Amino acid sequence: MVSARPAEALERGGPPFAPGRYDVLVVGSGPGGLQVSYYLSHLGIDHAVISADPGPGGMFRRYPFFQRLLSWTKPHTQLAHDSRAYERYDWNSLIAFEPEHRALMPGLMDGSSEFPSRAEMEAGLRLFVERMGLRVRYETAWQGTSRTDDGYVLHTTAGDYHSRVVIFAVGIAEPLLPDTPGIEHAAHYADTREAASYADKRLFIIGKQNSGFELASGLLQWASPIILASPRPAQLSVNLHSLGGVRARYIQPWEDAQLGGGVFMLDASIERIARHADGLAVHTRRSDTSEPFVAEVDEVIAASGFRAPLLDLENVGVSLFGRSGLPTMDNHYQSATAPGIYFAGTIGQAVSGLKKYGIPANSGAVHGHRYNGRLLVDDVAARWFGIERPRPEVAPEDVVGRLLASASSAPELWHQKSYLAHAISRDADGRIRDEGIVSLAGYVDASGPDGVAITVETDDEGDIHPAVYVRRRGRVDGDARLASSPLHEYDGVEHRAQLGSLIGDVLG
Amino acid sequence: MYQAEILDALAGLALFSDLDRPQLEAVAHTMSEEAFPAGQRILRQGFSGSGFFIILDGEVSVRVDGADVARLAKGDFFGEISLLLGEPPVADVVTLAPVKALQLAGPDLRAFLLTYPAVMYRMLQSVSRRLERANRRG
Amino acid sequence: MSLDRQDKISWLAGVPLFASCDEETIERIADATGELVFTDGQAIVQQGQVGNGLYIVVSGSVRIVAGGGELARLGAGDFFGELAVIDQQPRNATAYAEGSTDCLALASWDLIALLERDSGLAMNLLRELARRLRRADAQLRH
Repeated sequence: MVSARPAEALERGGPPFAPGRYDVLVVGSGPGGLQVSYYLSHLGIDHAVISADPGPGGMFRRYPFFQRLLSWTKPHTQLAHDSRAYERYDWNSLIAFEPEHRALMPGLMDGSSEFPSRAEMEAGLRLFVERMGLRVRYETAWQGTSRTDDGYVLHTTAGDYHSRVVIFAVGIAEPLLPDTPGIEHAAHYADTREAASYADKRLFIIGKQNSGFELASGLLQWASPIILASPRPAQLSVNLHSLGGVRARYIQPWEDAQLGGGVFMLDASIERIARHADGLAVHTRRSDTSEPFVAEVDEVIAASGFRAPLLDLENVGVSLFGRSGLPTMDNHYQSATAPGIYFAGTIGQAVSGLKKYGIPANSGAVHGHRYNGRLLVDDVAARWFGIERPRPEVAPEDVVGRLLASASSAPELWHQKSYLAHAISRDADGRIRDEGIVSLAGYVDASGPDGVAITVETDDEGDIHPAVYVRRRGRVDGDARLASSPLHEYDGVEHRAQLGSLIGDVLG
Repeated sequence: MYQAEILDALAGLALFSDLDRPQLEAVAHTMSEEAFPAGQRILRQGFSGSGFFIILDGEVSVRVDGADVARLAKGDFFGEISLLLGEPPVADVVTLAPVKALQLAGPDLRAFLLTYPAVMYRMLQSVSRRLERANRRG
Repeated sequence: MSLDRQDKISWLAGVPLFASCDEETIERIADATGELVFTDGQAIVQQGQVGNGLYIVVSGSVRIVAGGGELARLGAGDFFGELAVIDQQPRNATAYAEGSTDCLALASWDLIALLERDSGLAMNLLRELARRLRRADAQLRH
């Protein structure tokens, strides 16, 4: 529900959110920005949303180029589309609490695939904006930032916006080119042309991650040879048991290379690119032998990554790291060094959590950020607006059942394994309270009342099982796992007994 | 630029002193860069699924049952003993200042050392030295 | 008790440190090691001495002593003396034979050559040292 703004000056017939002071500012109208705007509205927190784009959708207004999305929405499960349990099978719809606005994507997909097309995804985001009555001031580009005694000032093409709290959901879609000599002869992934224009071209793709494979997949029938090059071998998600490698959807070029079909995987570092009469020469050094290797090609595309367009945020105290210039944040997505600045959407991937066995969470993907956004907004609400999360009381005999039900079907735990958890605590007065969905790292590392957090985890052998973290005397001393189950059902007699014995002394 | 900074940082580590530039690049790509705010736990006593870390910037405290037993800083590494033994860490590692580190997934350490025997030998020397020091203190 | 080449090979194949070594490597180790017999109380290596090799206990018992305290007691199949080889520092402990003790000695350069050839062996050695380090650190805290 969007609350009324008594003093808002709407330009006559014009866009909402004129420059001025707001309680919260949200920058960006992709999935990240729209999701947090919804959560803010749901809590009744006034906020302005500005976006440089002419309409909603974020990166899905342009990418991916050739393929459908990597995230699925399965229309046919045994579950009602408006149920929470269904969220596990619909990675793409933004989350709403109102049943009639949940799972918008199945209704928009044409049924030819469980993966939406780019256009279907964009349409889904646009529909969410309409249904939820979200307001965005479009074509308002953030250009710079200042810090004042009472917060931040965002300088935009429409004027200045003031707030103590700013949530940046600006994505990680600014092309990153390596500083290789001759890189000007290469195009970036972002500038890829129509597939047919690559017919009969010898193509060299710098990068063996998803974007490089996506290009190679889309150009398999046009370009030949296609060489994919980077210092280390491609890592496939099916081998990593996570989304961290090249996804199964883009594996065709890998198979092609294995079978000698005209695609080549080259493990080498790119030293320079030179242009000559017949095309381009890419000078590389092989990783295995350290010997030079030169590829003669017609075109080079650098699928070499992206950075977050965070402009001058370092000047107001935001510390950045890594190739993509991501911010260092706490477990609720607030900048570790600039209070009041938060990051929503895919940038949340920089909060790595426990990352057990090296398996990353899904914070950078469409299904993970939706839940992180709720933790972010709850943190804003508590810290800046005095709105505390409810902690409903739980009867002792219901604790085990409630936790196991979450482990079996809570979408937060399944989409963000070993990253989000369901926690239940015992207060000093002896009452047992449901903490709801929490950051697992936040729970295990902070002191607090006795209690337990349960999540779902995968180990390095691909075994999926519930994991339990018990807090005693302010400390979580280790982890415990419950038995795995072929159909991931964890609420039977065996699991009840296991969990009961683990938490008997704190919540029994 | 950024990549060169990481490579220079790695080149300065005793652990990688026998690797050439292309090998360092391959190593840099195998590890992921992470950043942690001050006061953040990176390694957790008693938890499964831990990893291997090399500190690029900042300082950490090694704590056993809450007591500070050592400090580590830029160039130091930790987490390998637990991984070599297949046991959970026996200490917490907590950042004292904002830390940038390279992280290698636990299951990958063995293959990493077998791929770079020179690095394994340097690690052997490091563990030997620490064992000698521990024996002397005993 | 004296070991012929074949005895050495069979016995070495059963030593945990060499568990991952192939037949050829075991034979190299057998050919590179010399057998030494020590009497009760004899010092096999002395603290402060330059380290010239690694020792594997074939039979008998060895006490490792430093700083006036006993660090370890070793038996058949255990090894010691490797730290001085790896780190090229003087011996940091003294090893005494308890009762008549039989050892195989492997010279420094031979051990290093073996470690360079066989990364599985290096990994086993690394793991064993890690185990000892964890034990030593644990003892220090109690």
